[in-house]
Amino acid sequence: MARVPNSPNVKDPVWFGPLVAFQLLYGLATAIFTVLVWSNRLPPFTGTLRLAAAVVGAIVTIMSAFATAWTWRRRHRGRLISFLLDYLLAIVAAFVALQAVNFFNGLDALGETFSRGAPFLVLIGAGALLNRTARRFPVYEQGLRQAARVTMLVGGLIVLLRVGTPAGLLTFLTRMIQPQALIPLLVAALAATAAVVLWRDGANQVFGSSRDQIEVMNGFFFVSPNLIGFLAFFAGPLVFSLFVTFTDWDGINQASWVGLDNYAHILSLQARSLPEGAATSSALDPGFVSLFQVGSTVFGARDPLFWTGLRNVLIFGLVAVPLATIPALLIAALLNNKLPFIKVFRAIYFLPSIAGVVGVALIWKQLFSATIGFVNYSILRFFDVLNLIPGVELTAPQPEWLASPRTALLAVIVVFAWSVMGFNTVLFLAGMQGIPGSLYEAADLDGAGPWARFRRITVPMLAPTTTFVVTTTTILALQLFNEPFILNVPNPANGPSNSTLTPVIHLFRNAFEEFELGYSSAVAWILFLLIFLITLLYFRRRSDEAVTA
Amino acid sequence: MRKPIVVLALFALAVTSCGGTGGDTTTGSTNAGSTTTGAEATTTTAATETTAGEAEASIRWRTRPDNTEEADVYQEISDSLDEELANITLAYEPGASQGADYQASLLTELSSGTAPDVFWIPGTDVANFVDLGVILDLRSLADATGHSDEDFYPGPMSHLTTDPATGQPGDVLWGLPRDVSAFALYLNNDLIAEAGADDPREMAAAGSWNWDTFNEVVSAVAALGPDIEGFASDAWWGPYGYWMNAAGGGFFNADRTACGLDTDESVAGLSFARDLFQSGNTVAWGGPAEDTYRAGNVAMFMNGRWATPGARTVDFDWDVVKLPDGPGGPSNWLFWGAYVVNAETEHPEEAWALVQALTTSETQAQISGLGANIPSRVSQEALDAFLTFSPPANNQAFLDGLAENPATEGPLWAGSWPDYATGMDAAVGGVITGDRTIEDFQANICSELVGAFD
Repeated sequence: MARVPNSPNVKDPVWFGPLVAFQLLYGLATAIFTVLVWSNRLPPFTGTLRLAAAVVGAIVTIMSAFATAWTWRRRHRGRLISFLLDYLLAIVAAFVALQAVNFFNGLDALGETFSRGAPFLVLIGAGALLNRTARRFPVYEQGLRQAARVTMLVGGLIVLLRVGTPAGLLTFLTRMIQPQALIPLLVAALAATAAVVLWRDGANQVFGSSRDQIEVMNGFFFVSPNLIGFLAFFAGPLVFSLFVTFTDWDGINQASWVGLDNYAHILSLQARSLPEGAATSSALDPGFVSLFQVGSTVFGARDPLFWTGLRNVLIFGLVAVPLATIPALLIAALLNNKLPFIKVFRAIYFLPSIAGVVGVALIWKQLFSATIGFVNYSILRFFDVLNLIPGVELTAPQPEWLASPRTALLAVIVVFAWSVMGFNTVLFLAGMQGIPGSLYEAADLDGAGPWARFRRITVPMLAPTTTFVVTTTTILALQLFNEPFILNVPNPANGPSNSTLTPVIHLFRNAFEEFELGYSSAVAWILFLLIFLITLLYFRRRSDEAVTA
Repeated sequence: MRKPIVVLALFALAVTSCGGTGGDTTTGSTNAGSTTTGAEATTTTAATETTAGEAEASIRWRTRPDNTEEADVYQEISDSLDEELANITLAYEPGASQGADYQASLLTELSSGTAPDVFWIPGTDVANFVDLGVILDLRSLADATGHSDEDFYPGPMSHLTTDPATGQPGDVLWGLPRDVSAFALYLNNDLIAEAGADDPREMAAAGSWNWDTFNEVVSAVAALGPDIEGFASDAWWGPYGYWMNAAGGGFFNADRTACGLDTDESVAGLSFARDLFQSGNTVAWGGPAEDTYRAGNVAMFMNGRWATPGARTVDFDWDVVKLPDGPGGPSNWLFWGAYVVNAETEHPEEAWALVQALTTSETQAQISGLGANIPSRVSQEALDAFLTFSPPANNQAFLDGLAENPATEGPLWAGSWPDYATGMDAAVGGVITGDRTIEDFQANICSELVGAFD
């Protein structure tokens, strides 16, 4: 293949030949790896892993082929793709090397021995403190700083000795020279060297890279730690979970492809006319279970728990979102005044948001106890006061909050709204403090009262904040899990007559009690689509309102 | 200059995690080797590395303690067995005390190949774990070491020896029961005396403790005031299962291959439970039963032996009595969980040795000392040891429960127990809380649950 240099006057640097050779070898190695994986000759890669490894291997092979060709032709895109591949290879190979020496398992174990050295961290802290206060004693400053450095150094050395660093270092080096660690380490070093060579300024002229192209490459390089984390720990599992929805998989054994069966099972509904005196189950096809009945028509589903959970969570959202939003707005309006100790009040209202949901739920569980709970006690005392009025004789209701299907969801709503309200208040407060004071001054001149100012200025100006608050609270509501899960302990999380069952509880139980990860992933994706749709509708509406305004 | 030193120190600290006593050679696979840190060997994964010239096998094991005290006792047991068992280094990992969290962690670790060598699972999960192929058949190891199934309660052993192909006991062994438990009624003697009701313990001794006399005590105590209840129980399958079993019914047909909830006997038991909970004399179904009992507001609280540590903290006169005899005679549950061996362990012999050591009379007596559970060995020595741990004074009530026709908790070899239990919980709860008629329940429940047997 003829090479067409971009800059004929630039001579090939000494690294150019080895770099192209490395890229060529890289491509060949990946191609061989892909073939071996695909032909089932690499035992660790079986089933889904084999498929994924083959696809990744093929993509890298193709990219590598283009990268080699374009690098040889000194094109910037060759430099860019080669840099990307080398950079990723260096990271992957380094991880493999560290795994080979049991580095990651050891990190867990380090937690146990670290406590032996931890007390000596005090020496480092003392040294730092001494260093910081040294300037207050100008005469002795130099000596104090020297002493501080020695203290910190000694402290650090003792910590390292106490946690077993010398033995650790020795074992690390001993294991690192084993082939299973040394080979990936060498590959990582080579790939890292290639990546550095491609990234350095010296490569700019060779590849004729423009300033914009260099900036793009640098930009991607600097965001790469975050980007790689996002791809590895969020996007990757997300795509994998989508794949899993099309399989019957127990999380341990080989997954089997079932196409859309999981979705069909979840979403299957049926309506049948019920003959006089017949049992509801007899009217439905086998596999369908009665959901509810309207007149003589029975509605059934293959997965009634999903639909029950969906119904619950929609009712929950309809009540909980306004309950967590409107009071938050009013409280924020109150807290937006310059009053004594207002910061203390702001902190108090924010406290529920930072309290652990498990602790909060356990406390509310006690409060909701029908026999010994404070909520029913308060109702009782309130009615006692009412009954003091002559002629009034009322019986205080004593709801079985968490035990009755009629009130269990309401109890969860109260706990949820109470927990979320503080955070929403802070968001509204921040929004209010961003409203220009001149608007209120103009309203004052026009003779507007507090209510008019709130309704005509504060509420409209808070529209973006309100959209954000409502959207995030809705998403939280639809993903409801922790509150009913804890409130119902030790009884099933579904609550009385499934009244606090939610889709997330349903998918959790399917995944971890019934080992149906494919099915539970499908539930998760349906819930995701529902949340996405609702969020989209919110934003569309907000956007339409903005256009109208 | 300062930064390089800090970076160097952090690097040194990081490589410490790969540390060891030096000179050891790793032969384990990358995801299954174990690691030693610093001067002290610490096992971190299921399989082990071998040290040149030694045959020390590192075994990780896990159980689900109900509280930190129980976790401490298991740690002590692990330390003592570590010294007793030759060539085995033990590492105990307390699992989460909440069932769902324990299960989720275990499944994740089994999936990623990092689960412990030996772990505890609830009796209802054995079939699922066998189907998943994640636990080892220990029969050949057991035969080689003189183990006898008869040393343990037959109910759990029938499930632990079930061949999944036939659903009947066969030549397999999936584990050994850690302990067993049964229900009893935890009594508030002060409330019963204040109400002037007959003492249930005396009625039990006289053979007149049945559903009628039980109801009399409930009504008498509930009459003491609106915040005092005669009875309480949690709202899962154990408590309502007792009412069905004691009426002569049950969850399944005789060979556990089909639903048995629609039989007249099961429905009679459920009807009694519905009437009891709708009488207004009890903590509501699904209400905070244990909290209300411990607050001193409930006369009788149905729960297992595991509730004893909590009962020991109350400030009223308490004891236990066996469950009342139903129309079908005396009944109870035999709850259990089992130690099983990870199918991927690299040391099956050592893992089996640990399972045996964890289920000796001595080890089980140590656990029973906490009052949490009953030894799973049918040996007079173990039972005598159990009876010495008081309060409660009437420990015999639990043993009576185990002796009087208990239904054994167990998996559903012919279907999915979680599916069955989830559907059953909601339907039964609906009846007890009045959301569903008993007639509708009887007509439809078995059709609704047929999917659990697919």
